[in-house]
Amino acid sequence: MRTFARFALAAVICATALPVLAEDKPTLNIYTYDSFAAEWGPGPALKAGFEKTCGCTVQFTTSEDAISTLRKVQLEGASTKADLVVGLDTATSGEARATGLFAPHGLTLEGLSLPWSDAEFVPFDYGYFAFVYNKEKTPNPPTSFEELIALPASFKIVIEDPRSSTPGLGNVLWVEAAYGDRAPEIWKGLKPHILTMTRGWSEAYGLFLDGQADMVLSYTTSPAYHAVAENDDKYAYAPFTEGFVPQVEVAGLLKTAKQVELGKAFLAYLVTPEAQKVIPTTNWMYPVIDIGDALPAAFGKPPEKVLPIDEAELAANGRAWVDAALAALQ
Amino acid sequence: MLLSPRSSNLVLPHRPLRLLAGAAIAAAIAALVALVLLAILATAAGEPSRQSRVDVWHLVVMTSIQAGLTTILSLLVGTALAWALNRLRFPGRDLVVGLFASAIVTPGLIVAFGLLAVWGRAGWINQAALALTGHPFEVPLFGLAGILAAHVILDASFAARILLARLDSIPEKRLKTGQSLGLGAWQRFTVIDWPMLRTTLPGLAAIIFLLAFTSFPIVLLLGGGPANQTLEVAIYAAVRLDFDLNGAVTLALVQIGICSAVILAASAFAPISASTGGSTPPRWRDGAVARIAQWVVLAFGIVGFALPLLAILIDGIGPGILDVASRESFWKALGTSLALGSGSAILTLLLALGIGMGRAASGRPLLRIGIGAPAYAYLAVPAVVLSLGAFLLVRNAGLLPETAGPVVVLLANGLLSLPFALATLAPPLDAIAERRGRLIRSLGLGGWRQFMAVEWPLIGREAGVVLALSFCFSLGDLGVIALFGTEDFTTLPLLMYRALGAYRSNDAAAIAALMLVITIAAFVLLPKLVGKLTDARS
Repeated sequence: MRTFARFALAAVICATALPVLAEDKPTLNIYTYDSFAAEWGPGPALKAGFEKTCGCTVQFTTSEDAISTLRKVQLEGASTKADLVVGLDTATSGEARATGLFAPHGLTLEGLSLPWSDAEFVPFDYGYFAFVYNKEKTPNPPTSFEELIALPASFKIVIEDPRSSTPGLGNVLWVEAAYGDRAPEIWKGLKPHILTMTRGWSEAYGLFLDGQADMVLSYTTSPAYHAVAENDDKYAYAPFTEGFVPQVEVAGLLKTAKQVELGKAFLAYLVTPEAQKVIPTTNWMYPVIDIGDALPAAFGKPPEKVLPIDEAELAANGRAWVDAALAALQ
Repeated sequence: MLLSPRSSNLVLPHRPLRLLAGAAIAAAIAALVALVLLAILATAAGEPSRQSRVDVWHLVVMTSIQAGLTTILSLLVGTALAWALNRLRFPGRDLVVGLFASAIVTPGLIVAFGLLAVWGRAGWINQAALALTGHPFEVPLFGLAGILAAHVILDASFAARILLARLDSIPEKRLKTGQSLGLGAWQRFTVIDWPMLRTTLPGLAAIIFLLAFTSFPIVLLLGGGPANQTLEVAIYAAVRLDFDLNGAVTLALVQIGICSAVILAASAFAPISASTGGSTPPRWRDGAVARIAQWVVLAFGIVGFALPLLAILIDGIGPGILDVASRESFWKALGTSLALGSGSAILTLLLALGIGMGRAASGRPLLRIGIGAPAYAYLAVPAVVLSLGAFLLVRNAGLLPETAGPVVVLLANGLLSLPFALATLAPPLDAIAERRGRLIRSLGLGGWRQFMAVEWPLIGREAGVVLALSFCFSLGDLGVIALFGTEDFTTLPLLMYRALGAYRSNDAAAIAALMLVITIAAFVLLPKLVGKLTDARS
């Protein structure tokens, strides 16, 4: 039994010691969220693409989600080995900027398909929070929050907890941007329709796919996944007339980065056509530049009416908005 | 079961080494919990503690009600099931027992989804009702009822497994005496079974309460909205969303405090186990009424507990499984999970033996509490706090998180299953010390001989259950991995969540089914295997 314990321990240690071997090339350390670096995510292809020209090794270190990545950098402070953080978003970039840990990227970002003037963060994809439904089961989806509220209570939606999930927080911002002072009233109206509020997007989407609810809070790009990867076009997003709140995913260079030039080169690489062509069918978001036919038709056109989120206002009031929404749902 | 009055004429063999080892393990666990919290506080030093947005007392009351109900229901259902399973013999009984035991170590989310697959809006029952009667049969699964249902599936089946092990180890002699006295079914339960069960119930109650109190994904998945929450959710929000580390530690201390009070209260009620044995019981059927009741309990148990797990298997076993199995990442994750599971199973068994034998060697109630309680308190530390604290400790020690990660995960998983191991092993160890102490002393056996000749042969079956429990816990738990992960260190549950998070629900279902198969196999095989080993030695 003791030899077995030793063997098991040795196996565990070996399994993790091996990747440290690659020596002479410099290593670019990237902190990102788990599904970005996972085998189906954009990570592997971006790593391979960048390594072809950089003469370096790209090493991903993952956390559960984007905000955990930021927390990890905050905890590690100046001693962090990270050069880049990839995967912060609209809701977290303001807080990330306020930590003072990020350096200017120094790139001139031209030809982006979204207006952009951020000195620290480089956008690499974006999407909009939206309610996704099954066209066969729900031929006439609601087209606004108020229409949704007016439906019978048996029409159920699944949403995510704003304290633990990015779309959950996005939902709060969406209602806030669309209704301002009326937001608590809208939340009260939604209450009877909310089947449950899950910890993360995965659980909510799983409940929806299992047929437990009529709509799920997800992204405008979710139907494209089913159309492209599963050849199934029965899913769509409800076209809410209030407009949509964007989630822009960004990457940033840390002031403490050891590989500053490589880091900047990777940021520049992220917005090249080569990298952008990888994004849509791995991260299931819109590319930030026009990649023409490389974007599957199933992605359609991004919604036209966009509700902007002001970073300063979000930083000042985000917490209060979340509290107000939760209080209205109690 | 920690604080227990022992009979005055008790003769315990003098075992200073065992006491020392037990006390050392307990002190190390307590120190670890303290260090984790201190590491977080040290990092948070200087940061202003923000105005807490959490209504702590409301949460504490809500969580306590939920956890209390879960505990009572689970123990009632678990006792009934153990009673039925102990009496009945039927083909496939081992499989049913294995299935029950595997519920608690299956990730809660999988069980919740299994529950929905049977009882939910698009579930089997509702679809059958629609097809047969044209009317939907919807069970209100979201809200407190759903949380309780999922918790009871997880915890009552586990309680049943532990209690069954106690009933199965009632010595042949007692049964023969009872049978010859012609005890009725009720008398048999109160006179023979109950003294055996009640030694284990307080420990089980403490564990189930702790699990329900700290439950997180199930509560959010089935809670139906922010009205149903636990402290654990608030702690997660404090760390993740607010980055309010001082607040998180404060909330964690509230949680640990409440849970410790429950542990101590449970200990105060626990007497020492009456006796233990390991032989095959003689056939002794209860009367017709009791037997009918047993079959009914079993039928309900199978419908309630086995169907959701069956739904997971049916959902996952399909053509998708080949696709998953053809990927290198799956085999890598499987290898890592199996290695972690084996490692932490052995670690748990050793720690549980150390603590259990240390406690059994002492006649002093306070010392017994001191040795036993830290293992339980560990369970009350919120996972997110544990993960954060461990990460900070590793960094402060100058180690690379990715390198230290597997060792930390191994240790964390081993400790996580320690209370379950103690609930299984401590009662028989106590009973042996109590019943055979005089004999051991008069024979002048040394500690090692005592273990090899007396204890190990008697606890073999329980040791097997402990190995299986800990193995599967490790297999199914994400634990502290959150902040340590690199893309190279993947376990099966991590792979499953990754698939879920990437729209690949079929892959996730396949992985969930495979994990369940491994778990059930471990629970059917390991206790038998270890039982055989101990039989051969005795």
